[in-house]
Amino acid sequence: MKKLLLQSMMTMLLAVLAVNVATAQQPHVYINPGHGGYDSDDRNMVIYPFTQGDSAGSWESKSNLRKGLALREILQKKGYKTSISRVTNTTADDLALSTIVALCNQSGADVFYSIHSNATGTSAVNNFPMVFYRGYTGSPQVANADVLAADLEPYLYASQTTVWTHNYQIWGDWSFRPEWGTQGYGVLRGNRAVANLSEGSFHDYIPEAYRLLGLQYCWMEGWNISLGADKYFDRLDQYDLGVISGNVRDDRIKRLQENPQPFIVYGDDNLMPIHNATVRLLDQNGNEVQRTMTDTLRNGIYTFKYVVPGTYTVEVSEPSHFSQTADVIVSANAATYQNFYLKRVRDTPPVVVEYSPVWQEGDPAVKCSERIVLAFNWDMDSVTTCGAFRLDPPVEGTFRWEDSYYRLIFTPVDAFDVNTLYTLTLGKSAEHGGGTPMEEDFTVQFCTQPRNHLNELAVFPYEGAQVHYTKPTVELRVDSLLDTYNLFNRLRVLDSEGNELSWNKRSIKYNKNGDDYGFVRIPLTKDIEPGKDYHLILDVDIADTAGIHLPAARVINFTGVDAGAGKPGMELVEGFEDANDYAIEDFLEEQATMTLTTSTDRLFGSKSLQMAYDFADGSKFFVARLDGAWPQRFTKGDTLGIHVCGDMGYNQLSACFANGSDKVVVPLCLIDFHGWRYVSVALDALSPDHDYGFSGFKLSRAHELMGKTGTIKLDNMLRGESSGINEARLANMQLAVNGDYIVVSADTWVQGVELLDVNGRHIKAAGGNCLNVAGVDPGIYIVHVHINGSTATEKIRL
Amino acid sequence: MKKMMLMMLAVAALLPAMGQEVEVISQRRLLEGVEGPAYYPVLNQEGNRLLFSTEDGALKMYDMTDNVTVLVADGYVAGNDACWGGDGKVYFVTQRVGEDHLVYRTGRSYDVATRQSTQLVEEQHGAVRAVPATRGGALKSPVRNYNSGIDIGSAAWTEGSRVHVTVGGEERVFSPVDSWAGYLWASLSPDGKRLAFFAAGKGIVVIDLRGQVTAMLGNYEMPCWYNNEYIVAQNAKDDGHQFTSSQIVLLKSDGTWQTELTKSASMAMQPTCGGGRIVYTTIDGLLYEMKINIYQ
Repeated sequence: MKKLLLQSMMTMLLAVLAVNVATAQQPHVYINPGHGGYDSDDRNMVIYPFTQGDSAGSWESKSNLRKGLALREILQKKGYKTSISRVTNTTADDLALSTIVALCNQSGADVFYSIHSNATGTSAVNNFPMVFYRGYTGSPQVANADVLAADLEPYLYASQTTVWTHNYQIWGDWSFRPEWGTQGYGVLRGNRAVANLSEGSFHDYIPEAYRLLGLQYCWMEGWNISLGADKYFDRLDQYDLGVISGNVRDDRIKRLQENPQPFIVYGDDNLMPIHNATVRLLDQNGNEVQRTMTDTLRNGIYTFKYVVPGTYTVEVSEPSHFSQTADVIVSANAATYQNFYLKRVRDTPPVVVEYSPVWQEGDPAVKCSERIVLAFNWDMDSVTTCGAFRLDPPVEGTFRWEDSYYRLIFTPVDAFDVNTLYTLTLGKSAEHGGGTPMEEDFTVQFCTQPRNHLNELAVFPYEGAQVHYTKPTVELRVDSLLDTYNLFNRLRVLDSEGNELSWNKRSIKYNKNGDDYGFVRIPLTKDIEPGKDYHLILDVDIADTAGIHLPAARVINFTGVDAGAGKPGMELVEGFEDANDYAIEDFLEEQATMTLTTSTDRLFGSKSLQMAYDFADGSKFFVARLDGAWPQRFTKGDTLGIHVCGDMGYNQLSACFANGSDKVVVPLCLIDFHGWRYVSVALDALSPDHDYGFSGFKLSRAHELMGKTGTIKLDNMLRGESSGINEARLANMQLAVNGDYIVVSADTWVQGVELLDVNGRHIKAAGGNCLNVAGVDPGIYIVHVHINGSTATEKIRL
Repeated sequence: MKKMMLMMLAVAALLPAMGQEVEVISQRRLLEGVEGPAYYPVLNQEGNRLLFSTEDGALKMYDMTDNVTVLVADGYVAGNDACWGGDGKVYFVTQRVGEDHLVYRTGRSYDVATRQSTQLVEEQHGAVRAVPATRGGALKSPVRNYNSGIDIGSAAWTEGSRVHVTVGGEERVFSPVDSWAGYLWASLSPDGKRLAFFAAGKGIVVIDLRGQVTAMLGNYEMPCWYNNEYIVAQNAKDDGHQFTSSQIVLLKSDGTWQTELTKSASMAMQPTCGGGRIVYTTIDGLLYEMKINIYQ
């Protein structure tokens, strides 16, 4: 009996010792599912159909917990000792960082995993795993924390159920966040375990946010972390079960963009995840070993847990798709990935179920910018469908698919021809995604309207324009009201190095209903530089509200100048500092109004003279004249220079001179510009018999649509004595009509040439020294030649 | 640095001006220019000696009387959770990561007088923890516990969701509040009549020696008794990744009153009390000593 008792006691003692030895060698892992609860710091990603704050939606705190619980379950099966900082997702579980560290330290754990997912916090979209340890990269504060990280990351990155955008990254937190100094991540401070903080993927990559909603996906991350622990503790050969996981997607149907804002997707994430697919694991005898289903959370993930190593068949079935199988080999303590791309069941031939434009004899004609849209009952094969598309007469265009190949859109490269009857045929060779062709051709006709392009009325800067460098403004006017949506993105100003200048969008002006023409007027945010070249680019897709666009893109070259630069040889005769020196002449037509004031928007002194006008219907001109006697006299051959701030009203500004009954009107310029400009003219029209006094200005309406109302400003008027030669002449300017061109030569660079009729109306202009006048009616014209900020005026006969 | 001092002085000035019960009578930086970042400060009962951990985890002792700093142990993390025994010795734990990647810990003591370190609990895998006692110290481990004497007086420590109290050789174990994650930071009042500890998810709990809860002080951390009535603690907030604020607070142990001793932006943390002094560190490892008057 005693012997028996002794034997029993010895057996019990050995058993206790064995347990102690096993416990002593049992790795202890402390698991910290990051965050906790559904609060503002718990990283709620708002994804359809969930709303902000909906606990059923995507929360980092929730997926972290699911991963952590999975890791605990798996590690316990693998013989680890585990501790975990929370098992529910409540605010009370969101322990302070100091508390988590102290709990880990108190537990005596060997390693510590803080489980998170990442976010860029910016518009950049990435998806890759990252892991951090305390210290500088390559120099961890706790020995081996870098080894633990290096053992973990390849297993996370091996996942083929997600789509990675970059390789994994391993960082010491002091190197990753140098701005934090040595503060680092809170759960790594003072942590005595070999500690890592794992950011398994990026939850602000929307498809990943959907995956993180799935229990099976989170479980797989827990599995992969367990493999990292096994690798670290050299226990990969101590567990004899494996797992299979994968993604079930349609082989060509695109993922729906259900979120309010379109989101970026990469690679296979472009394909539609399949909901409620039954996934069966079959052994080599065809017996079902496990069965699971993909969820309805837009991720298509399936996972078979704890599978005995061997060869299996995975079978996926879903009623709207053909079933698929794949043979897989499961290894002990390893993940096997098998993704499926299912083909839809398409059991009827394809037909066109909807189309546009819909037109029949007697209907209004179709806009020339109209797109052709064909909608089908099935997703179509792109090659055979586009190949079967014919237009008569032929039109060059581009194809685009929408709604996962259910809708085909044909857009003409330019526009349909005007007044043309088109016949559209989609031949019966068009096939759906399953390879079945249509049973018969589809044919429709439509007739187009008589207008197919948007016509430009005016643009500033125009080709060769010299633009005063401060407050530069761009304006485009067209013959129909512009579609203003995103219009500012279709006009661009580039400097000579190709850098885009930004618009002052707060000050943008658009046409509105009732306007006589379409326009957009936008100032640039910053000044341009005098002497530098710039390019205004008008995109071809600038369109009116009917979708009719410009005939072609345009590049317009212009130059920055300082309109207020010094004018050698010119004397100041008027500073326009006092509006009371001017008055409106009393022969203004009824209904027309003009207000004369001074403005602080000036080039010189403290004021400029501001003329705010409103031409009444039928009004032809206004005159503002000097009040009282003025000592300055002008003689033939003098040069008159004046600084004008234009409103692009396309009105004609002239200067008036008088000597008794001898009144002479000298055209100064067409106001076809915005901002300040220096204008100079030779007073050759004055009589050589006597001198003249300056009697005022004449503003004539020169365009039937533009310039009914507006405001121009005048500053410093200058006079060059008749004995002087204007700057253009000093530059030894020569002007000749050479075939179809007016050609100007000078000792210096000629900036631009402008042709006006004898009434001062703008005909055309060009940058540089050549102006093409082919097609201009024969007659007498005025030519303005712009040289160094001055303008020479010459008469020519064409 | 100047900004932080100004902030602290502002708090100090504010309290008496508002007629509150606490006056900060002095505030000074310790070991400025002498030591690098210092964490986990622990004052002895008399308040004249201070243990702290360096950035590298070494354990150092600052003798405030002699103004001398000595290295106690340079093994990594030796400076974490070291404690003063009632016998004047330092009890602490060092650790090593083995070839098998398990962490092995060793329990030690340090004699201040002889400046000698002694191994008390052999290297072993698992948790080894130093526990202060009124007449000595103890080292708790899964394999073997060590007591510095037959009667180490009163001691308290936590393990999981249990708090252990030893009084006169009798050990009592209490779980007075539910806390899934566990208890931390047990601290006996100077008169040995009450015990404060932290319950994860619940905050600081005060119990008597029968395990009856006498007060719940709120969701603060790291309680230490300033005297028999008041407790100093840490009030830290974070965003799940890093600390967003941290301050030192003074709590009346019956739960009827509390006040802040530093502003939340001071990033002050890890307080310790002894001999009427309060010492704490900051997130970047600057040590401060504070003295206060409490008006009843």
